[in-house]
Amino acid sequence: MQSPQRPVASRASGSGESIPIEPGPGITGQDMTSQGIASQGITRRSILRNAAAGASAVVASDMTFLNQLRSAEVADELKKQEKRVILLWLAGGASQLETWDPKPGVKTGGPFRAIPTNVPGVRISELLPELATRMQHTAVIRSLNTKIADHGQGADLMECGRLNDPGLKYPDLGAVVARELGRLESRVPDYVSLYTATEGRRKGTSGFLGARYAPMFLSESMTPPNIVRQDSITEIAHQDRAALQNALSRRFANARRSQAVDSHTSAYQRVNGLMASAELFDIEKEPADVRARYGGTQFGEQCLIARRLVEAGVPFVKVARAWWDSHGQNFETHQELCADLDHSMSVLLDDLAERGLLQNTLVITLGEFGRTPQINASLGRDHFASAWSCSLSGHGVRGGSVWGKTDDLGQTVVEGEVGAADLFATILQALGIDHSHEYMLGARPVPLADFGAKPIREVLA
Amino acid sequence: MLASAYRLCFAAAVISTGLLSTSALLAEDGLPAEGLLPADSALPVVIDHYVDQQNQKGGIPVVGQATDYVLLRRMTLDLAGRIPTAAEQTWYATLCEGERTTLLVDRLMNLPDFNLHLRDVLDEMLLANRPFNNEFRTYLLWALEQNRPWHQMFRDMLTAADSEGPEKGAAEFLKTRARQLDDLTNDTAILFFGVNISCAKCHDHPLVADWKQDHFYGMQAFFSRTFPTKKNTLTEKHFGEVKFRTTGGAEKTAAMMFLTGAVVEDRTPSFTDEERKQLEEAVRKLEREDQPPEYTAPTFSPRLSLIDAALSDTEGMFLARNIVNRTWGRLTGTGLVDPGDQMHSANPASHPELLSWLARDLITHEYDLRRLVRGIVLSNTYARSSEWTSTEAPPAAQTFAVAKTRALTPRQLAASLTVAIQHPDRWPVVDPAAENTASEWAARRKQLDDQANGLVREFEQPFDGFQVAVDEALFFSNSERLQNELLKDSDDRILGYLKSIEDNTKAVNVLWKNILNRDPDADEIQMAQDWLGRSGNDHNHALQQLAWALLSGAEMRFNH
Repeated sequence: MQSPQRPVASRASGSGESIPIEPGPGITGQDMTSQGIASQGITRRSILRNAAAGASAVVASDMTFLNQLRSAEVADELKKQEKRVILLWLAGGASQLETWDPKPGVKTGGPFRAIPTNVPGVRISELLPELATRMQHTAVIRSLNTKIADHGQGADLMECGRLNDPGLKYPDLGAVVARELGRLESRVPDYVSLYTATEGRRKGTSGFLGARYAPMFLSESMTPPNIVRQDSITEIAHQDRAALQNALSRRFANARRSQAVDSHTSAYQRVNGLMASAELFDIEKEPADVRARYGGTQFGEQCLIARRLVEAGVPFVKVARAWWDSHGQNFETHQELCADLDHSMSVLLDDLAERGLLQNTLVITLGEFGRTPQINASLGRDHFASAWSCSLSGHGVRGGSVWGKTDDLGQTVVEGEVGAADLFATILQALGIDHSHEYMLGARPVPLADFGAKPIREVLA
Repeated sequence: MLASAYRLCFAAAVISTGLLSTSALLAEDGLPAEGLLPADSALPVVIDHYVDQQNQKGGIPVVGQATDYVLLRRMTLDLAGRIPTAAEQTWYATLCEGERTTLLVDRLMNLPDFNLHLRDVLDEMLLANRPFNNEFRTYLLWALEQNRPWHQMFRDMLTAADSEGPEKGAAEFLKTRARQLDDLTNDTAILFFGVNISCAKCHDHPLVADWKQDHFYGMQAFFSRTFPTKKNTLTEKHFGEVKFRTTGGAEKTAAMMFLTGAVVEDRTPSFTDEERKQLEEAVRKLEREDQPPEYTAPTFSPRLSLIDAALSDTEGMFLARNIVNRTWGRLTGTGLVDPGDQMHSANPASHPELLSWLARDLITHEYDLRRLVRGIVLSNTYARSSEWTSTEAPPAAQTFAVAKTRALTPRQLAASLTVAIQHPDRWPVVDPAAENTASEWAARRKQLDDQANGLVREFEQPFDGFQVAVDEALFFSNSERLQNELLKDSDDRILGYLKSIEDNTKAVNVLWKNILNRDPDADEIQMAQDWLGRSGNDHNHALQQLAWALLSGAEMRFNH
């Protein structure tokens, strides 16, 4: 069998890695050679028999694969090898003063107290009481200065770690992690994004990494679109016609090898595996006590889905919780939203830890920016990107650490300023990914985290 | 008449490229002529001359021409934005081989489909990733329908006049970017001049010696006075300079400088402090008030002077070279300069003389995009097969020795799927002589678009490095819409029609022609018959799934 041609980017130079770099899984039918079945003179019955049997075998092995995840040994083995990320995206911009960087008693502080945590000397807002007892898992960064206080551009920046250049679309964190940690023939999705609210909804983007790393996007329901077979076709017929399509496409594709043509084959090859993963999104499969623990909120349920997904080997799951944009009634808004965040995230950390998954899973809380220290006339806080906070928990993180400091009123960063690129470098380092590694786009080097990014070593384990 | 002459001399050119001599003289219009083939050569001949010459020199193996039926599909996709109908295939078969191609190209370019498709292409190019903008699309279609020259369209878009005329929508190009000076600067440079100078914002370009900070801020200076009013029109301030800091720390005022280095004289009148204050106040009112006092536009417009600078650029021919390169890239899959926003000395064209010749030709022929498109699709270079069966690695894309297999755009794919599922006998007959066929077709095309619109968003716009998304495969595999719309077997559909055909071989032939626009080969007939034969009683279901396999297959997904 001829090995697939690896497309070579023109004018690649330097030591970086050329994009596109995927050789693609090739046109590797179960029983056919690169010359195409038709020209082999295979008897007519064998074509369809083999094709259909092949397709069924793929599905069978997928089901086995997923069932195996339930067995303790297999799960343990996977846990050791694979790193994953759950990004809790606080859409609209959560207030750092009501979460990780409280300033009680000053004019910008608002009505809530700071409470001690289980890490001596570290205090967070009283709106996060459950998390306060779990700070051994979490590093807090209180010195983000990302400058952009506009929802759209702020989200661009905090999703990708840099702003798009004209003519170059950057991949977001999920796509980079999917690319770096995902497996080529993965039978589970490698980037899932749950965003059911309409406010600030964004799909996420794989940019120049291409559709292979685009998120599976759940916005309308808790089940991914088109992942379940229509009733009008039987399971066998569904597999048979896929095998027929593959057989009929093969000669065309073999005579026109390219990344784009190969991707057609590989996209269809992933269909059965992804359909088999539909049950990962079904929290009814969880015992009642586990579901009860996560509470009844939609965010809680999505955190549970995220746990199920990372347990099955999905490298990146984003769960968005909206809408923190509290221009008015900031304190009521945060009372409600922080309660949901506090409980859901706490259960998630516990659940991951109990299953031995937290040692390989990094949980991030982040949004597009924070909120102004000044309280406006509507008792709200406005957009603010000059001195705000985020948190990293679990894998690769020095739990209980706090990085950076803001002034007494929370208006500026006074110690340890961190930009978006630095944060991304820190996240990538925590996952064991070299943030300075470069993709080569033609002659242009593009490092995983933007040029000049410095990871915060002090929060890394 | 001229059309068939093209075809003849183009056949001759392949044998006698050595006889074409280059002119060593400067042309009268000041455009570069040195070393280029004569200006009056036919476009396809020139294209093949330069491409073949380079491949011969490099010993590059070149594949043969695609078959006529592959060309029918390729050209219909490129010129009409969809696959051919059964009626068009029937008509094409009646043409004699020598003149098929030119008759096809001329027919396609005269269909409303040509402008509709080019409208979509330009819309995607100029407003990519921005919300659907009907005003802009209306303008583009209007401009294309009267074959408005490209430099005139450029002028319309950069003038952004607040008019009620048909060119009104042209302003949307700038309006959608007006709040971001960097977008105005970069996108204009990238999309109209093929130059990405954004890397020269903070420092001279690190990789390209051509681009300095002076270029970035020089371009920005043309736009820095442009601003949107509260009423969402565009206007300009009377004064204002762009200042920037060099990497050495010095502060500099940017000159209005075009990419060639040509500086536009700043003819801003001098104002007293009092006048400045009043003008600033007037601008503030325009930005904030619904009914601002009347505003007198400045006598000197930096933005309009950019138009003049670009149109008088006979040295770099940036405006012409860019649209030539983008058109070439669209029709062959790879630009002569690739990527298309990197036109500079460190990234030379694969065929520099060809690019220069085509750019000069465009300028001397009033920036006529139709002429350019027609010239490219009538070349042998365009018409090569996309098949590469050798075990050797295929030649590099920029040799154009093998046609590139190109992913369809969302609109091409949606329209093509919609054409593929129609009843083959219910298309308007193609009869160029009949008078009413044009309007009949226009109505039918509109219907097709309406039907296809819902599908468009299921697919992703191809780009360099494009991959088919698994979402798309899931859509084809499991969506209700696919099952209920594309695989419907009502009387007006191919699957309805096939119910009445008992002969499996005939049914298979009809499916292949309708969907893939070719006859099935013997092995495919065998496979399809096996499939149908195995189905037992549920013949319709088997036909439906066979159609599915073709509609979702690789051959349908690409222009090849």
